[in-house]
Amino acid sequence: MLKVDQLVKTFGGMTALAGISLTVPDRSILGVLGMNGSGKTTMLNCINGIYEATSGEISLDGVSLIGKAPHAVFTEGVGRTFQVPRIFPQMSLLENLAVALLNKGLSNAQVAEISAHWLNKVELYRLRHNYAEELSGGQQKLLELARIMVANPKLVLLDEPFAGVNPSLALLLIGIIREMPQEVGCSVMLVSHDLTSVYELSDNILVMHEGHVLAEGNAEAIQKNPDVIEAYLGA
Amino acid sequence: MNELLLQGLVNGIVVGLIYALIGVSLNVIFGVLRVVNFAHGEFIVLGAYGAYFAQQLLGLSPLLAMPLVFLVFGLLGYGLYFLLVQRLSRSNDPEHASLLVMFGLSLVLGALMLLAFEADSRSLNFSLEPPFLMFGNVILPTTKLLGLAVSVVITGCLAYFLYRTMPGKALRAIIMNRDAIQIVGVDLNHLSALTFGLGLGLAGITGIIVSMIFPSFSPFIGQDYTLIGFIVIVLGGLGHPIGAVAGGILFGLAEQTAMVFFSGTVAMLLGFVLLIAVILIRPAGLFGVQNLR
Repeated sequence: MLKVDQLVKTFGGMTALAGISLTVPDRSILGVLGMNGSGKTTMLNCINGIYEATSGEISLDGVSLIGKAPHAVFTEGVGRTFQVPRIFPQMSLLENLAVALLNKGLSNAQVAEISAHWLNKVELYRLRHNYAEELSGGQQKLLELARIMVANPKLVLLDEPFAGVNPSLALLLIGIIREMPQEVGCSVMLVSHDLTSVYELSDNILVMHEGHVLAEGNAEAIQKNPDVIEAYLGA
Repeated sequence: MNELLLQGLVNGIVVGLIYALIGVSLNVIFGVLRVVNFAHGEFIVLGAYGAYFAQQLLGLSPLLAMPLVFLVFGLLGYGLYFLLVQRLSRSNDPEHASLLVMFGLSLVLGALMLLAFEADSRSLNFSLEPPFLMFGNVILPTTKLLGLAVSVVITGCLAYFLYRTMPGKALRAIIMNRDAIQIVGVDLNHLSALTFGLGLGLAGITGIIVSMIFPSFSPFIGQDYTLIGFIVIVLGGLGHPIGAVAGGILFGLAEQTAMVFFSGTVAMLLGFVLLIAVILIRPAGLFGVQNLR
């Protein structure tokens, strides 16, 4: 379970996160909504160690993630994707996945087996020997997702997974994300502007506004919340 | 004339592969750390001195000194990373910051070598029997052939490491996307320190090879090697470890075949003309980073 308690992040005089608290229970999906600049990505950056939190506490299964570097947070079981995929462009798809298994102490055969499983899952297996730069933007997002899934994470942070993805790949992504809690046993924090997908996939939804939590609840409650309607959804 | 040209081409390949070795180690460091190691030539010269003193004091042949020098220089590089290079990598502009700091280090190392070893040129006591091999009318010194063989083996080992082993793939991954490597669990600092150690270890071995092949070495020649290294990596492609091999051979061929027709100074000049031509036609080099595979 991920617990974030009174997380604050400031940049000079600007407060990006003003005391965010949330929990993501095991095997659940938390959707995070919010307009540009509301602090969604900053929160993900604090959780996975890219930014150092100014104050507050972040823990995964009771283990504090505060002060840990991104590679150490990954080792604790937190995987992360980005709005613009961060892949290794001049490496094959198989090599991209293999790098994420570097510290797992697996044999080459095990690495190949796990990689093949996830490349099949994201329907990229037939392109396994191609260079990642040859993939479309949507396929690169799928590759990035597969690259964190091979490491069997406890928590997956997805930053705008549907942005710039064509409808058929988006459907594939939705299917994979939906299955992740039960099939893989991980929790998911899904940051997206795609309201339909977030409502459909999330067990619980958090709405952020200017570094604060504006509302929290299930899809139905969020859609009826007057503050959210006023701030984001219009009348 | 045909025999002379053939001799020039063969010399070009032999010398080019040794130049390539200088460029490969420099390029691994630049590719991973974005650090312009202007002191690289001094580390090469220190490698030559290492072999010299290993021979004088321990009676070790230069070939046997190679693993020892690689280990010592590797450990030195690993430590030096945390002492000096790590701070440069954190800078907003690591290329410019490192250029200045490493140029300073180059001057300091040159001065220290001058104090410790004095200005006299030294040579390794190393020869092979027979001293030359004849291939038709082409003459090849056996020490050059040995240097060529060692360069090929080292470059092959490095290519195997980079393309077939997991740490090597992680190292290439850093060159491609420094941010992405951290989010897949790789400790960037540790791997960067290993890379700097690898680069200096290779520089040390290169120093032994050049001291076996070229007649002498002194504290003053470090910057010549650094210059050759930079020419080679610009030709091959900045940050591309194996591109340096192509750059080294190209530069070696241009220099050595030009020597058939012109003086050594003009031959060196033609090497620079080649460099300028490649920069103008293909600024990223023959194997620019965009084609890193």
